[in-house]
Amino acid sequence: MTALVVGMGTVASIGGNTVEFFDSLCAGYSGLAELRGFDRSRYRAQHAYEIDDRPGPGCDETLRASRWLERAVAAALADAGLDDDLGDIPVLIGTTLRELRSVELSWRDGVPFDVRDLHFGTVLRKRFGATNTHTVANACSASLYTLGLGTDLLELGAAETVVVAGVDTITESTYGLLDRCYPEAPERVRPFDRDRRGMLQGEGAVAVVLRREADGPGAGHRHARVRGVAMNCDAYHPSAPDAKSIALVTREAHRRAGVEPADVDLLMLHGTGTALNDEAEAQAVREVFSGVAPTPYMTAIKSMTGHTAGASGLHSLVVAVETLRSGVIPPILGLDNPIDEVDGFRLVREHAELATLRVAQVDSFGFGGLNAVAIVEKVS
Amino acid sequence: MAPADVVVSGVGVAVSGIAGPDDLLRRAPAGGDSDDPARRLTGKGLRYKDRATRLALCAGRDALADAGLLGDPGLTVPGETVGVVVSSNYGNVDTICDTVSTIAAETYVGLSPMALPATASNVIASWLAIWFRLRGANLTMCNGSTSGLDAVNWGRLLVRAGRVDRVLVVGVEPANDPVRHLVSGGRSNREDDPRLFDGAAALVLESAAAVRDRGVEALAELGPYARKADQPAAVAAVRRTDPRPVDMWFGAGVGGPAGMTERSSHDLTADHGHCSGALGVLQCVAGTAWLNGHDRGAVLASADGDGSDAAAALLLTAGGGR
Repeated sequence: MTALVVGMGTVASIGGNTVEFFDSLCAGYSGLAELRGFDRSRYRAQHAYEIDDRPGPGCDETLRASRWLERAVAAALADAGLDDDLGDIPVLIGTTLRELRSVELSWRDGVPFDVRDLHFGTVLRKRFGATNTHTVANACSASLYTLGLGTDLLELGAAETVVVAGVDTITESTYGLLDRCYPEAPERVRPFDRDRRGMLQGEGAVAVVLRREADGPGAGHRHARVRGVAMNCDAYHPSAPDAKSIALVTREAHRRAGVEPADVDLLMLHGTGTALNDEAEAQAVREVFSGVAPTPYMTAIKSMTGHTAGASGLHSLVVAVETLRSGVIPPILGLDNPIDEVDGFRLVREHAELATLRVAQVDSFGFGGLNAVAIVEKVS
Repeated sequence: MAPADVVVSGVGVAVSGIAGPDDLLRRAPAGGDSDDPARRLTGKGLRYKDRATRLALCAGRDALADAGLLGDPGLTVPGETVGVVVSSNYGNVDTICDTVSTIAAETYVGLSPMALPATASNVIASWLAIWFRLRGANLTMCNGSTSGLDAVNWGRLLVRAGRVDRVLVVGVEPANDPVRHLVSGGRSNREDDPRLFDGAAALVLESAAAVRDRGVEALAELGPYARKADQPAAVAAVRRTDPRPVDMWFGAGVGGPAGMTERSSHDLTADHGHCSGALGVLQCVAGTAWLNGHDRGAVLASADGDGSDAAAALLLTAGGGR
């Protein structure tokens, strides 16, 4: 079974809708800025890729993630030609940190927070009357995992239409622990560069409406075809990735999609700019695409969005869809001296490139060794 | 090809004063502080793991052993054929709150890097996978009051979609001060605190074909599931799909199956406290124990979702042995 992407909605530091988001990436515009909502004196790192919507400098508020999710889902529904009444339509929301930023503000500062808002079903019920909602806390591969689960629901005949989504806001607990873990504080995310220092968090939300291709796009668009999604778990380490397991899940995605490595024209890398991810991902890519010359075009959007965590997988998917359609591949920003492991990879650097593309692979990996890989195709 | 029937092939529980699934059928508050179920598993590998993770490992081990999947050492089946689905709403709330308190007092310098994985809410499922080498699809549902029943259904969907042959499903919640703060809306004063569940329950779900191939017993069969606006709607949706008489209802509140008496209804939260994300899995473990004590019949589990975004219901029927 193949599925159609019939609607998309995107919110991030670099744009409040899909067009702005994609245009920013192609223009090399980054959402990097000094920390806006935290007390900066508590941290060595000082930067992030935040959405600039707080009430004032240095002050933070609850439920920002819920707000962005609401906006992304509304945009995706409108794009898909659906009204705002979801009812039984399944909505799967991938996230790393849920509304845990609100929990932090409640616990430390005594800001009121209703525990029912910890998962996203509550806001989606209020706004869209949605009752079949599922918050999937699958770390940084969460939203690409929901894409796999969503296509399973379509394939099993459990739904005609499925909304898959992702959302994350930065939290002080994760920001502080990353700061504690890196030898030097990163000033920006530089995937695959020798001078990369680690990952910085980004904020955003994304939603994608799916239907079985055999049923047609309904009132929506034929944005792209999802040919297959694979997901697995390293069962190896709570935070370090495993290149062998990534290679396995990539091959499984190709098998499910019925494509060969040589068929892949574009690779949306997970590319977090951490030493561990970039080496493991590069090693897995080298293994799977061995003998494919030239390699697919490759890019990594976290250099401009930051690591949008649970939203990052579908953020990359939206870019893949827009790139397949327009032929414009956004560059990796800050990649001045590539690491040896990516030698020979056709990485798009400095400026966007133009190419004719048909098949894209989207990588998304998370803590706990959670890996998801999707294959999407241009609809002619 | 018709999607596979999915059965329960193993159950486990880690709750203070509860020795095994059959004890869940006793209608009495569990044994208080008689033992710490998190201590039922020992070893240096447990250092730095949060309470929810340790509870989940204990219940998960018992369910895998009950299903005949634990060899000596390792699994009796390939790791990539086993998925994991965890349900927990509060599992890592303690790590989040402790971390922001430390940052406020000592800046980021006061933190231990070992806490980083537990800031992500999937940490329990991740340790279950590592501990037992389970390499299949791995999900964490943080879905409010229906989360446990939702997790059981997602486990079934992973099997029916052909992604794995079997899934370890664990529902777990820890009781601690940050959770008390959150559940009480920040008004916790210890006097009239809500009683919180502190424990884990686990099921192994498996395709009926895989259970036959392994020559083990199916303890129960999964029937229809629904997540709807409220409990009457969820229960009605399940009953429409499978109208057979319900012999035992694990649930509470309005809108349960018709004709239930005090004897044929069992509210596990009355005995064990506010179970949150653990509830649905705990109900299914208790329901499986009930079906095995009666060798026939049907059990309905439901989360009434009182005041929350939705309710869910799931039917379990006798497995037919083999």
